[in-house]
Amino acid sequence: MTSNGLVGSSPNRVGGRDRVTGAQQYVADIHLPNELHAKLVKIEEARARIISIDTTKAAQVPGVRLILTPDDLPHPMPRFGPQYQDRPVLAVGEVKYHGEPVAAVAADTREAAEEAVALVQVEYEALPGVHTIDAALDPDAPLVQDPSSRSGDPFAYSNIRTEFNFGWGDISAVEGEADYVIEREYEFPMVTHFAIEPHAFIAEPDGDELNVWSTIQHPYLLQKILAKMLDLPLSKLRIFAPDPGGGFGGKQHAKLEPLVSYMAMKAGRPVRLVMSLEETFQAVRRSSTRVRVRLGLTSEGDMVFSDIETNYLIGAYVDIADRVAGKSSYVAAGPYRIPAVKIVGRTILSNTTPTTAFRGFGVPQITWARESTLDEAALELGIDRLDIRRRNLPEKGFEFIPGDLPADGDWSQTVDKAAELIGWDTPVPEGRGRGIAIGLKSGPTTGLSYSTVRLLVDGSALIFCGTSDMGQGARTVFAQIVAQEMGIPIESINVIMGDTATVPFDQQTSASRSTVLMGTSVYRACKEIHGKVKTMAARLHGADEVDIEVDSGTVRLTGEELPIVDVVREGLGPLGGEVIGNGEMRKEKEPDHPLAGSAAFFEFNCTAIEVEVDGETGEIQIVKHVTVGDVGTALNPQQVKGQDDGAAIMGLGHTLMEVIIHDDTGRIRNLGAIDYRIPTSKDLPLELISASIENKDGPGPYGVKGISEGSLLCTAPAVGSAVRDATGLVIRDLPLTPQRVWEAMRERDRA
Amino acid sequence: MKEFSYERPESLDEAIRVLAASGSDVEILAGGTDLVIAMRDRYREPTVVVDLKRIAEFYPSLVWDGDTVTLSATATMTEVVDDEGINRHFPALAEAAVVVGSVQIRNRATLLGNICNGSPAADTAPPLLVYDAIVVVAGPAGIRRVAIDDFIVGPGRTNLQDGEIAIALELTVPSRPLGSAYERMTRRRGTDLASVTLCAAVDDAGITRVAFGSVGPRAWLRVDETGVLADPDAPAEARAAVFEGIFADASPSVKSLRASPDYRRAMLRVLGARAVGRARGRLAEVRGVS
Repeated sequence: MTSNGLVGSSPNRVGGRDRVTGAQQYVADIHLPNELHAKLVKIEEARARIISIDTTKAAQVPGVRLILTPDDLPHPMPRFGPQYQDRPVLAVGEVKYHGEPVAAVAADTREAAEEAVALVQVEYEALPGVHTIDAALDPDAPLVQDPSSRSGDPFAYSNIRTEFNFGWGDISAVEGEADYVIEREYEFPMVTHFAIEPHAFIAEPDGDELNVWSTIQHPYLLQKILAKMLDLPLSKLRIFAPDPGGGFGGKQHAKLEPLVSYMAMKAGRPVRLVMSLEETFQAVRRSSTRVRVRLGLTSEGDMVFSDIETNYLIGAYVDIADRVAGKSSYVAAGPYRIPAVKIVGRTILSNTTPTTAFRGFGVPQITWARESTLDEAALELGIDRLDIRRRNLPEKGFEFIPGDLPADGDWSQTVDKAAELIGWDTPVPEGRGRGIAIGLKSGPTTGLSYSTVRLLVDGSALIFCGTSDMGQGARTVFAQIVAQEMGIPIESINVIMGDTATVPFDQQTSASRSTVLMGTSVYRACKEIHGKVKTMAARLHGADEVDIEVDSGTVRLTGEELPIVDVVREGLGPLGGEVIGNGEMRKEKEPDHPLAGSAAFFEFNCTAIEVEVDGETGEIQIVKHVTVGDVGTALNPQQVKGQDDGAAIMGLGHTLMEVIIHDDTGRIRNLGAIDYRIPTSKDLPLELISASIENKDGPGPYGVKGISEGSLLCTAPAVGSAVRDATGLVIRDLPLTPQRVWEAMRERDRA
Repeated sequence: MKEFSYERPESLDEAIRVLAASGSDVEILAGGTDLVIAMRDRYREPTVVVDLKRIAEFYPSLVWDGDTVTLSATATMTEVVDDEGINRHFPALAEAAVVVGSVQIRNRATLLGNICNGSPAADTAPPLLVYDAIVVVAGPAGIRRVAIDDFIVGPGRTNLQDGEIAIALELTVPSRPLGSAYERMTRRRGTDLASVTLCAAVDDAGITRVAFGSVGPRAWLRVDETGVLADPDAPAEARAAVFEGIFADASPSVKSLRASPDYRRAMLRVLGARAVGRARGRLAEVRGVS
């Protein structure tokens, strides 16, 4: 499948061979001379007061070089976080969630560190904690965060972190126009990212500098946070961010890098910490939610109003959870024309794993509730579930959220394509059911991406950019843009990423942004090279620059077309050298916008599902799974399909089997892979079709929109709808395990 | 993982001697698919590990002699799955072996190790019970043969005594035509631990043997001699009553995360009916052939 790698083709993935052969160097593969191995000291409680930490015995284990306790850290305890500086480097005074580190050991070997960890004696008093929405909202509930740390905050004496209010129109004024009002509540459980590569960190003191390796998605944000905590200039703090082995949002923000940095500086030696899968469960998860939807419709199915209350159970520290809740609540009413909308969102602190960004950024939870409620309404009104969605869909250009980006696609095409591929109009085979649902997510609301492209004298090129390629294929699409614009084969392009001392600043790799924002930056870097090549061509050919065009690898002079690389080779002359282009893409904040920025694009997806449900066991077989995304342009069709397939399967995980289970005191009972199941190749739908609508109408280069989250936004409601169609059962909690479906069947049969 | 010493005897005699000299903190290694994980996670911390894979007597691992097949301690799940005779005469064992772990696991995991590990959810325990397998045990006092029903004791426990090694399983082709089938319930279709395992066998005298696991401390064997289960035309109530008796001792743990006790009990009946149905079908095929 080797090709020249032009835009719109699917060349072999850049770095793909190393990734599948195991040659790729992940953080855990990197070893530094003289390194120490770190292990975390934790206690088996979700909330406890730390009375004392005795390290005497642990320190006697041969090979132990450092045991770091809160007493060894600056006072007051340094805290950090992308939204609030609430997360301490080590638990101070109180453990607030199961697995929060209370101390850490560094030793010559991992075994010695493990042995010492078991010998650190932590004396503590277990305290009652809160692990559910109801418990956290109880007026007598213990407070997760100290009110004194939240002065001026109206919710300081509750576990509510933040309340969001969005909407438009006046529900009370239009309520009378609704012939039918439905109100339902849906729950979405706690799930974790389960990246195949667990988080790993290395810190290395180097004179007055510090080098940090991390599985981080946002190396520059990590650099900023560490520089501030450690009082180092950015220039002395170098972050290496090798391509992560899956991130899904769980690696966006700093986690244990501050701890490992303090340890390394204290020990004067490199310190490495590679987390186990079990530990990642205690580091990252998706917010669980309870969402109430009250929807008013006319008898024909036109939406009159939508009144939505979203409750997100977040962890003990906020991380980015407030932003997740705010951004997803903001689009909770979905891609529909609705005269009046009221949305109240709430983040609720609890003594559980801190929640963070996770593919879909809060939207799957909300969509499960909204689309399922809409489905129930359609059934009760006797309206086809596809028709009720079609008739409320905004046409392209309609400002369905007043003040934000208008509908940026012909979305009915996406819905129609999904309906066509599932065969919506054909009879449903006996024993089966079909469902359909729509998901919508805002793309990035701000952005800043720099890049440098160096076109070398031999016609090869280097791209420097700060995006993290965690499997989504960013390296490949940037190389395709340069291949296209310089007219050179993709094989001659090298993409340099993951080192803050080498590549220019990029804000972050998240929100399906990189092809649009960094892609634009790389495209602009190419355009700068085009400008220099034009000057060069004018000089070489004695022509006027206005008579020369440079585009897509070609220099067009009057009566002559030349490859860019030929002009460059000649133009650079005997000394050789290179032509350098810099790119910059900014999406500034909009201070008056409720999210401080309108969407750069929307990710719009329609998922249609056909299932078979085993009437005796409750097992669901996904017979056919269709997902269609409005992608603008598929810059690399195979990667678009790969992302959509992957997201669809990830969506099946939280829909069918994934859930973190706590005991009564808030300890996670299913730490690790044995009792937390994710889909395997054998759990795939019998047929999985990922398709795209392409109208070249996106904001990125060549008309691309962001992709990669779309096809998990509405997996759950589409499956739920199909199960309901097959069995008549309405199930308002996930996952739809065989047991849960069986229990619903039993309840129905008893009634 | 804690440091340990590693022994790799090359004969059975040597293995018995090594074991006798190794004290009580010893673990026997065959495929290692349970042991290595337990050691990594530090819930088993042996001072000595005795690897059986170099013992000459264990090869070939799978030998047919007349109507009896002997599977040594090194016979892997893959070898069980691939053996034509086992598929013909003990199809439920092949069905159970092929769902243990993944391909990579089955290439390492041994059939006998699955039994010695003592998991109540061991997939191969129900078929071995139904087929009356014999466990061959070697120790300082020589060789003894134990019926599988006596060998399996409870979670993590077998009839094996200190200093002994389970060296083989023996299965003899039943003298009467027999149809058998294996069923399991899991949370997903990919690699998983079962929340219910069940094997049924129906012979041409109308006797039905049902073995089931993962719903109590060990897998149990129960026999229906009334002919009800073997009779495709038996009334549903009669069949339900027989199953009631068969599964009376099922005591699924309330603490298990795999499924609730109610669900497991209900699935015993569902899988029981399915396995018996398939077993009857296979019996009819066997009769048709003979």
